[in-house]
Amino acid sequence: MNTPTSEPLAKALTPAIRKPRRRSLRFPWLLVYAIAYLVFLYLPVLLLPLFSFNDGTIVAFPMKGFTLKWYAQLGAQDTLLQAMVNSLIVGSVTALAATSLGLFAARAYVRYRFKGRELSEGLVMLPLVIPGIIVASSMLVLFIALGLKPSLTTVILGHVFVALPFAVSIMKSAFDDFDQSLEEAAFDLGESVIGTFRRVTLPIVAPGIVASLLVTFTVSFDEFVLAFFLSGNQPTLPVYIWSQIRFPAKLPNTLALGSLLLLASVVLLLIAEYFRRRSNKSA
Amino acid sequence: MTRQNIIEISGVEKRFGSFIAVRDLNLSLKEGEFFSLLGPSGCGKTTALRMIAGFQDHDAGTIRIDGQDMAQIPANKRPTNMVFQSYAIFPHLNVGDNVAFGLRKLNLGKAETDARVAEALEMVELGGLQSRKATELSGGQRQRVALARALVMRPKVLLLDEPLSALDKNLREAMQFEMRRLQQKLGITFVMVTHDQYEAMTMSDRIGVMFKGQLKQVDKPEVLYARPCSREVAAFIGGMNFLDASVTAKAEGKLQAQVQGFGPLAIDVNPNVTRRGTKLLTGIRPEQLEISAKKPEGYDGYLQGTVTNAAFYGENVHYHVTAAGVPQPIAVSVPNYFHTVDHQQGDPVWLGVQNASVIDLGAREA
Ligand SMILES: Nc1ncnc2c1ncn2[C@@H]1O[C@H](COP(=O)(O)OP(=O)(O)O)[C@@H](O)[C@H]1O
Ligand SMILES: [Mg+2]
Repeated sequence: MNTPTSEPLAKALTPAIRKPRRRSLRFPWLLVYAIAYLVFLYLPVLLLPLFSFNDGTIVAFPMKGFTLKWYAQLGAQDTLLQAMVNSLIVGSVTALAATSLGLFAARAYVRYRFKGRELSEGLVMLPLVIPGIIVASSMLVLFIALGLKPSLTTVILGHVFVALPFAVSIMKSAFDDFDQSLEEAAFDLGESVIGTFRRVTLPIVAPGIVASLLVTFTVSFDEFVLAFFLSGNQPTLPVYIWSQIRFPAKLPNTLALGSLLLLASVVLLLIAEYFRRRSNKSA
Repeated sequence: MTRQNIIEISGVEKRFGSFIAVRDLNLSLKEGEFFSLLGPSGCGKTTALRMIAGFQDHDAGTIRIDGQDMAQIPANKRPTNMVFQSYAIFPHLNVGDNVAFGLRKLNLGKAETDARVAEALEMVELGGLQSRKATELSGGQRQRVALARALVMRPKVLLLDEPLSALDKNLREAMQFEMRRLQQKLGITFVMVTHDQYEAMTMSDRIGVMFKGQLKQVDKPEVLYARPCSREVAAFIGGMNFLDASVTAKAEGKLQAQVQGFGPLAIDVNPNVTRRGTKLLTGIRPEQLEISAKKPEGYDGYLQGTVTNAAFYGENVHYHVTAAGVPQPIAVSVPNYFHTVDHQQGDPVWLGVQNASVIDLGAREA
C-alpha cells in the first residue's frame, strides 16, 4: 500500500514547498485519515473478488493460481439458483411497492401542508435508524400472531418497510424542483386529474422513479437480517450464502457469487445515480 | 354593438384560515375587454385570478362566466385558460406538443390539431418551431409558447398572471404592444394580473386597483389617472403631490378651497370620492405644474419656492421645490425639449397650476 499513498502525499506537499503557508506545512493528518479510512472500508470488499479467482479452497495468502471454475460451478447449483430467483422476486416486488408508495407519499410531503406532515415524514424515515434485528424479531412475532407463516410474502412486507425511506427520499428530491403550476397547467388545458398525472407528473418524475426502483431493489437484494427471520424455508440469496459459509468446501463458490452480486450492485447503483441526476436536471 | 358581460363576480370572498385574502369582490367584465388587476404584491391578485380559473374555490359570493355559475365547475371544465407566471412549459415535450396538449383531449384528428397548433404558433410569431425542445427556449419564447398553448384552446376568457414580469425591460415593452394587438385581433377577454402600473395602463381597456384584498377602483386608465378615488390609489399610479386644503364653498360641481402653498383654487368635484368634509386632500401631478424663473402668465394658482434637487431622467427633468407653508418638497416633471436642465439646486423659482390640474381626493383622514 506504500506506493499509492506516497504519490498523493507528495502531491499534497509540493505546493507547501513552493508557497510556504502555515496550514500546508503541517503534516496532512486529514489526508492520512481519509486514506486509512478508505483502505479499511474497501480492502475486505476487494479481497472478495480476488479470492474468487484463487485456485484453492483456503482463503489465505499466498494465493495458489488463477481459475474460473468457482464461477463455472455456480450454474449447476439448484438451491443457489432457487435462492437467486427468490431474491429477484422479493427485490422486484419490493421495488415496485416501495416506489409506488414513495411516489405518492413524496408528492404529498412536497406539495401539501397538512397536520402531522412532519411526524409522518419522521415515521417513514424511522427504519433507517431502528436496528434491523429489532424490526426483524418484532415483525416475526407480529406476522405469526396474524397467522402469516414466514415466506417470501413476509420478507417482501419487511423489505418494503426498510426500502420505503429510500424511495421517499429519492422521490422527494424528484418532486422538490417540480413546478406545481405544471400540473395546474395540464388541468387548466382540460386534462383530468388522472390524465394530468399520467401525461405530466409521471414523465417528469420518471428518472426519479427509475432511480428509486433500482435503489430499493438493491436494498432488498442485499438485505439479510429481515430475510433471515422472515423467509422460513424460502431463503433469499444472502440467507443462502450465509448458510453455505459454514461449509469450507463451498466457500469459493460463495466468493464467486458474492463478487457477481457486488458487481451487479455497483452497476445498479451507478445507473440509479445517473437517473437521479437526470431527474434533478430536467425539472 | 351590444356586448354582454362575460364575467360577473359578486360578493366573492376568499379566506386562508383567519386571513382574508380577497374580500367582497364585485366585478363585471364585457366580452372582448382587456382588463388588468393592478396592485402591490401580496394584495390578493393571484388569488382572485385563481378563483376565476377554478384553482381555488371561493368562500362566499358567486362567479359567473358567460352566464353560468362556476361554483361546481372544476378548472378543466371552465371556458377559461391561463398563462402562468412561471409559464409552466412542459419540460418533457417539444413546442408543438406543448401547444397541442389541450387539443389532444378534444380528439380533433391529427390534421386539424396540427393546423391549429401551426396557426397558434404563427400568431405568437413562433411559426415553424414545433419540434424545438422546451428546454431550449429563451424567456421570451417560453412566454409566447405559454400564450399559444392557452389561445389554441379558444377560451372565452384568457387569464394571465404577471405574464411579462420575468422578461427584461425591452422585451417586456415589445410584448406589451404585441399582446394588446393580439387581444384586439382575437376579441377574447383578457384578465391580466400585474403589479406594474405602466403595463396596466398601456395594455388595458379598464384597470381594477386592489389593496389588501379589496378592489378599490375600477376605471379606464385615463380616468384612474385623472380621478383616483383615494390617496392610496393616487399614490400607486404615477407620481402625485399631496397638498392639504380647506373647503370654503361648494357650488356647481366645484369646490372653492384654500390649497396649501397655492392659495384659493376652484377644484372640480371628483365623483369617485366618497369621503366628504371641509378638510380636503388634493393632488397635483408633477407634470401638470409649470416651473419658471419668472412668474409665468395665465395660471390660477402660484407658489414661490427654491429648487432643492434637479434630476435628469432623459425624457424628463425632475425637480424638487420647497416652499414656505408646504411641509414636503413639491415634485415637478418637465419634458426634456431642449436637452437642458434649466434650474439648478438653490435657484428661486415660481410654480404655476391650473384649477383643472388640482385633483379632489376627498376628506383627509383625521
Ligand atoms: N394557499 C395559500 N395559503 C395561505 N395563504 C395564501 C395562499 N395563497 C395566497 N396566500 C396569501 O394571500 C395573500 C394574497 O396572495 P396573492 O393572491 O398571491 O397576492 P398577489 O398575487 O397580489 O401578490 C398573500 O398574503 C398570501 O400570503
Ligand atoms: Mg401574484
